[in-house]
Amino acid sequence: MSLIDLMSMAKPNQESRDKILARLKGKELVNCFQCMKCTSGCTALKLLELKPNEIIKLVNLGFVDELPSSDIIWTCVTCLKCVERCPQKASPYHVIMALRNLAVEKEAKVPEGFLKAVSEILETGLAEPPQKIVTRKMETVDRTCLRLPKIKSPKGSFQAVFMKAMEEK
Amino acid sequence: MTRIGVYVCHCGLNIAGVVDVEKVAAYAKTLPNVVAAKHYTYMCSEPGQRLIQEDIKTHKLDRIVIATCSPRMHEDTFRRAVAEAGLNPYLTEIVNLREHVSWAHTHEPEKATEKAKALVRMGVARAELLEPLEKRKVNVEKNVLVVGGGIAGIQASLDLANAGFKVYLVEKAPSIGGRMAQLDKTFPTLDCSACILTPKMVDVAKHRNITLLTNAEVTAVNGFVGNYDVSILKKPRYIDEKKCVGCEICTKVCPVKVPDNFNENLAQKRAVYIYSAHAVPRIAIISPEHCLRLRYDKDVCGKCQTACEAKAVNFKQKPETTQVKVGGIVVAVGSEVFDAARMAELGYGRFKNVISNMEFERISDASGPTNGKIQSPRDGKTPKTIAFIQCVGSRDKRFHEYCCRVGCMVTLKQAILAREKIHDNVRIYVCYIDLRAFGKGYDEFYRRAREMDIDFVASIPSEIHEAPDRSLYFDVYDKGTNKLLQVHADMVVLGTGLVPNSDLAKISALFHASRSADGFLLEAHPKLRPLESAMAGVFLAGACQGPKDIPDTVAQASGAAAKAIDLLSSGEIELEPLKAVVDKDLCSGCRICESICPFVAIEMKSETVQGEKKLRAEVIEGMCQGCGACSSACPTSAIKIQQYNNKQVLTQVEAALAETCPEGGK
Repeated sequence: MSLIDLMSMAKPNQESRDKILARLKGKELVNCFQCMKCTSGCTALKLLELKPNEIIKLVNLGFVDELPSSDIIWTCVTCLKCVERCPQKASPYHVIMALRNLAVEKEAKVPEGFLKAVSEILETGLAEPPQKIVTRKMETVDRTCLRLPKIKSPKGSFQAVFMKAMEEK
Repeated sequence: MTRIGVYVCHCGLNIAGVVDVEKVAAYAKTLPNVVAAKHYTYMCSEPGQRLIQEDIKTHKLDRIVIATCSPRMHEDTFRRAVAEAGLNPYLTEIVNLREHVSWAHTHEPEKATEKAKALVRMGVARAELLEPLEKRKVNVEKNVLVVGGGIAGIQASLDLANAGFKVYLVEKAPSIGGRMAQLDKTFPTLDCSACILTPKMVDVAKHRNITLLTNAEVTAVNGFVGNYDVSILKKPRYIDEKKCVGCEICTKVCPVKVPDNFNENLAQKRAVYIYSAHAVPRIAIISPEHCLRLRYDKDVCGKCQTACEAKAVNFKQKPETTQVKVGGIVVAVGSEVFDAARMAELGYGRFKNVISNMEFERISDASGPTNGKIQSPRDGKTPKTIAFIQCVGSRDKRFHEYCCRVGCMVTLKQAILAREKIHDNVRIYVCYIDLRAFGKGYDEFYRRAREMDIDFVASIPSEIHEAPDRSLYFDVYDKGTNKLLQVHADMVVLGTGLVPNSDLAKISALFHASRSADGFLLEAHPKLRPLESAMAGVFLAGACQGPKDIPDTVAQASGAAAKAIDLLSSGEIELEPLKAVVDKDLCSGCRICESICPFVAIEMKSETVQGEKKLRAEVIEGMCQGCGACSSACPTSAIKIQQYNNKQVLTQVEAALAETCPEGGK
């Protein structure tokens, strides 16, 4: 092995790296020249110290073993700012998505919120259930108060299609 | 019966490292009519050439096949060697074993050797049918057209004129000087742009060999290398050039104010104006889009006409077309600056104090809108913090992939100027990706900037925000400290790069000069012919060929001028004989070739045959580049390319199929 991270003695894992890169056809990470635009503008950075540019560099160098089991891949709020603005079309968003898929495959721990969102979609067809809101007059109202139509629950076939889509990679 | 010699070149290990050259040479010897077959380390070297020449004499060879690098590289070398040995140079056939074989199939040496054999077989088959051809000489005009009056066009014109050639310098704007005239100081010496440019501009205007045509455009180019017919449209200035003395009285009485594009629209000029403080020629011009008299075509206003003591104002001036004959053309139309408004996240155009580096040049220039004081062109305040942001529109796949090659140095210069002009009262930040200071004295210039307490942040912000008080701020993740920093600045300067001219498509079509993927004009060879376009007699100078700083532009301009001198100085040039020829009896006059020829080299002539009027194609030899498009399109096979006629090509195809197909491909 030609490269060693002396802080953790970690070595690159070429196989896992290729696996991740295979999921990124047309979004070539190797083009990243570390201009830091993604990190400078990252919405999640201030909350959770996720450094998008580091993820790209780690994948490019092959230090990928820790990434799928790490919490940091789940902190991305998918605002897609980095996708819009990356001058090399190598934005970290796509690699984060690939890592999430890899994490699910490896049955690593997925944060509760994501699982909740999935079961919510499966049951109601919505990522977020309709919520009560407070008006300017400080009244709490829901859809019934506002006489909005009831939200239909998804057809029976929806769940089957959804599950099938989940299984496909 | 022909006597063919086959010569296989090793090209060091470039060919021999992959292809078994000995086997190829041995195989060549088994081919019909091959008398000699040899291989050698470097066929193009002096001993290599001598080997061929000696064989021509001893073996009485009359056809030579050389299996070597691309014909673009050494075809001429070998033709000359063959001619020296007394054989017609066009009896030489080049087989490309490097670009087509060894470089393309590096990992498959056996298959590569088979392919090399097949190509040699095809070359030998074709060699038998080669015909001796003669080069033709044509006289050339000793005049040169230079298009574009920026520093590139100025330098090329002066070099050509000093060498005794007559130069027509055509400039679109009302004055020569181009982009360089807009700059304040120049890196890395910080000498004033106007101080070094203006004397050259004046030299151009005074030179007896230079005809200066400003406010003019080339509208048509016909003819061929050495003999181009050029039409130049001179747009009306509405000012008599001979009478105007440049006193500027007219500009003081004109009531119409318009944005001044020379000052990047940061100042206003009048509808009648003098282009810049250093304009050459120093003659006023009336803008027909803005002048009240010219717009409404009535007897309104006319104040300039009344005020002009020289009686130079003439509202009835009409466009004029001039025809000139030139031998060569230097295209030096320059480039434009990227429009930063396209990069919405940076707020250019939305936020008043986000400015482009071109605008900074104008506010730093003593003759600019702020008289050289570094202050916001919008509110007049002197900035306490200036931030420069690099690579705006360049190194960006969304806009231009290439490096603009000047942005880093421009920013270093502007940062130094800001420090010199506002002293210690300003903080200066430079946000960059890579700082490229590659030229002579450039890295020293970078050190000078660092010593002047300019802060460099090796990161690019994602977006710029404006606070309610019109000041600006942005977040940038600093690689050095691993911290997300917020920079508050009251002026942000965007390092916009150079981009191809918006009318470069038109120019490319006009001069038959093709463009590269980046949109700039394409040189004939990236390393060995950087000063020429693929069109014979059309040379390239300056930023129209790719982004360039001033030293590189001047160097290329002088080089292009030298190339033009090289072409035209003898008064005649040799034309390649590989041209299209028309078999008059077969030509049906369908005009397909005329419509398809990319070089406008086909002329239709009518003639009377046995009392019947017939239309026939004729090739203008000087313009034909031998591309073969006409020959492929001709329905009656009447038009042929010499040395590439149907029989010569089909024989090769048959030879290619000979060993795979038992019928010999027939």
